[in-house]
Amino acid sequence: MSGTHQYGRPRALTERRCAMSVVSELRRTSGGKSPKTPGSKRRSAAHRGDGRAALVFLAPWFVGLIVITAGPMIASGYLSFTDYSLLEPPSWIGLDNYTRMFDDPRLLNALQVTFTYVLVSVPLQLAAALALALLLDRGLRGLAIYRSVYYLPSLLGGSVAIALLWRQVFGADGLVNQFLAYFGIEGMGWVSHPDTALGTLMILNVWTFGAPMIIFLAGLRQIPRMYYEAAEIDGAGKVRRFRSVTMPLLTPIIFFNLVLQVINAFQTFTQAYVVSGGTGGPADSTMFYTLYLYQKGFASLDMGYASAMAWLLLAIVAGMTAVNFLASKYWVFYND
Amino acid sequence: MKSSTSRIRTARSTWWRTGAVLAAGALALSACSGDAGAGSSGSEDDGGETQAAEDDGPVEIRFAWWGSDTRHETTQQVIDLFEEKNPDITVVPDFTDWGGYWDKLATTVAGGDTPDVITQEERYLTDYAARGVLADLNEIGLDTSAIDEAVIESGTVADGLYGVATGVNAYSIVADPKAFEDAGVDMPDDTTWTWQDFVDVSNEISKATPDDTFGVQEFGGNEAGFSIFARQHGQSLYTPDGTLGYDDALLAEWYQTTVDLIDGGGEPDAARSVEIAEGGPEQSLIGTNKGAMGFWWSNQLGAISDAAGRDLELLRVPGESEFDRTGMYFKPAMYYSVAKDTEHPEAAAKFVDFLVNDPEAGALILSDRGLPSNTDVREAIAGDLSPVDQQVADFLKDLEDEIVDGPAVPPEGAADIPEISGRINTEVIFDRMSPQEAAEQFTSEANGAIGQ
Repeated sequence: MSGTHQYGRPRALTERRCAMSVVSELRRTSGGKSPKTPGSKRRSAAHRGDGRAALVFLAPWFVGLIVITAGPMIASGYLSFTDYSLLEPPSWIGLDNYTRMFDDPRLLNALQVTFTYVLVSVPLQLAAALALALLLDRGLRGLAIYRSVYYLPSLLGGSVAIALLWRQVFGADGLVNQFLAYFGIEGMGWVSHPDTALGTLMILNVWTFGAPMIIFLAGLRQIPRMYYEAAEIDGAGKVRRFRSVTMPLLTPIIFFNLVLQVINAFQTFTQAYVVSGGTGGPADSTMFYTLYLYQKGFASLDMGYASAMAWLLLAIVAGMTAVNFLASKYWVFYND
Repeated sequence: MKSSTSRIRTARSTWWRTGAVLAAGALALSACSGDAGAGSSGSEDDGGETQAAEDDGPVEIRFAWWGSDTRHETTQQVIDLFEEKNPDITVVPDFTDWGGYWDKLATTVAGGDTPDVITQEERYLTDYAARGVLADLNEIGLDTSAIDEAVIESGTVADGLYGVATGVNAYSIVADPKAFEDAGVDMPDDTTWTWQDFVDVSNEISKATPDDTFGVQEFGGNEAGFSIFARQHGQSLYTPDGTLGYDDALLAEWYQTTVDLIDGGGEPDAARSVEIAEGGPEQSLIGTNKGAMGFWWSNQLGAISDAAGRDLELLRVPGESEFDRTGMYFKPAMYYSVAKDTEHPEAAAKFVDFLVNDPEAGALILSDRGLPSNTDVREAIAGDLSPVDQQVADFLKDLEDEIVDGPAVPPEGAADIPEISGRINTEVIFDRMSPQEAAEQFTSEANGAIGQ
């Protein structure tokens, strides 16, 4: 128990810190001396050299950004205004792809499926993550092991293997039905019924609560103990301490997790693809937005439309993130 | 990490350092992109360092196909044999399963990296040919003298031969005599049975067997079945003009058959059907000894028989003598096509020629890609066929006199039809659409897909 509060910062920040330390490292190697530089000729020559070295160090990242991110984005932006079958060169059709979206009931269905998935599974996932983090924060022995065990699904959750396993577990002769059979309940093919297939995918997402849990755990460690001690002296019980100390101080972490998981959930693809065998079925009930985009692009050879859909998705995710940030003013509490 | 000495040195050493870092960066980047060619073995850089268009020196061509592990092994043997006979030509295998094949092919075409020899399928051939991806096999000089005229016809799009069929298949019913026996139901006479007989027999078998055993596996989602049904009624799925050629009422009747089977217990409930359908031959009702009948392509008999571990029979589709005419037809199992932009048309043509016309290649491939379309090869391998393949050959031979004609080549955009058909059928079996609604929906979506 005594060592629990030695962690300096919540892990949420480690990514940023990691990135920052690289930057500061670079600054040290490149322009790090600049504030004190008197401006002698020789030194400024060396400066320019260091600047170049910095650029070179940055080059892999830069090349990555241009080749892997910016390039394809520009290309898909262009393609979204074209009729492009993949087999023939694209031809310009203006806004047709975007206007066609309004007459596409399957697109509407895909949006509905995706929004349902995000709105249901993300809160559940975060609740599970927080609950587990609170449990683990009580200074269990072998904490590292528990942490790893609960984190594991996060690593595996997006993989093909787990999606295949899921199909098995929730299949007509799967584990779930075998379990239900003990209680005399006759199960069904959960993944192959339109009413329940999406539910199994939501459960899969909730199950991968490990990543937000680790972040919550780090956030909990960051809350100064004195607040709890003070609250305790004031006679606050467990529930009250959680509501008045833990929750407010944890809101920035919750916010961070929320933003991240919402963005992730919107981009769900692998699970839906594998569990439905690539069809989004049964009867389009697991036709996620990204899956429909993929089908349009590669199966229907309509890459122009698929590109336009990709941009709509970007707009939706950006919009949701903006809403999150705006709403955060009303509930996120920064303790500075 | 950087020693302070470098700062004092001149720009020259900086440049040296810069170069070193750049090299390291390049290494790191190339390490990242190392697995670009997943799926295919061997090098992807076909044509990269080979001599231009002349086939004098050693050349490399890439051959793309889909299929099961057995097919991959057999095809590799064929390739080895070809390379032995043509030491100047290396054939790079490029295979995936059926699901990933078309995505991968479209992507490689878009990337300007089209495989030299491409395995094609009926519903995609027109799309690829019309968009200028495939070469006219007549132009590159493929010998088609020994190949069935009707088969050549099936690969012809707008006067060009864009694919040569590997062999023929028929969509038919696979039946398990043991399952009929267990249920105490007589095997039907497939030359006279009607669709109503078929529904009755299926329901009867389900009733007479344990709860997990059924008369027939769900089949409404494969448009080949409806194509036969429509032809029996003197209509068709597609017309030669590239439009849809049936009445919605007829399609609704087709869906109604499925509904009758579900209501009567002849086929499993919808959720189970969806699950079974994803499992392929191995997990089919017959394959797991839990059903008496199923609709399959005739060349799948081997795989299903293996899975079932029993002797199975091929039956004609119901209704062949019920209406105006017969509906069954021979479908080219798949096609070999050559890329229009191949750098080695001669080598590619030689390889396709080997695949279709060489008896030794035929002896390896046997009926894996349908019964060989080259009649000489078909005769040559007759003695080598396994009992199951022989069974298929006999069945197809019996059909020869009954089959009136082939259906029209699917129009451009038909590649979307399997997906639409499967999805709307799912709506029907889950009772989310009535047969009439489903028929209208299918027609509307199919028209959209083929641009009508």
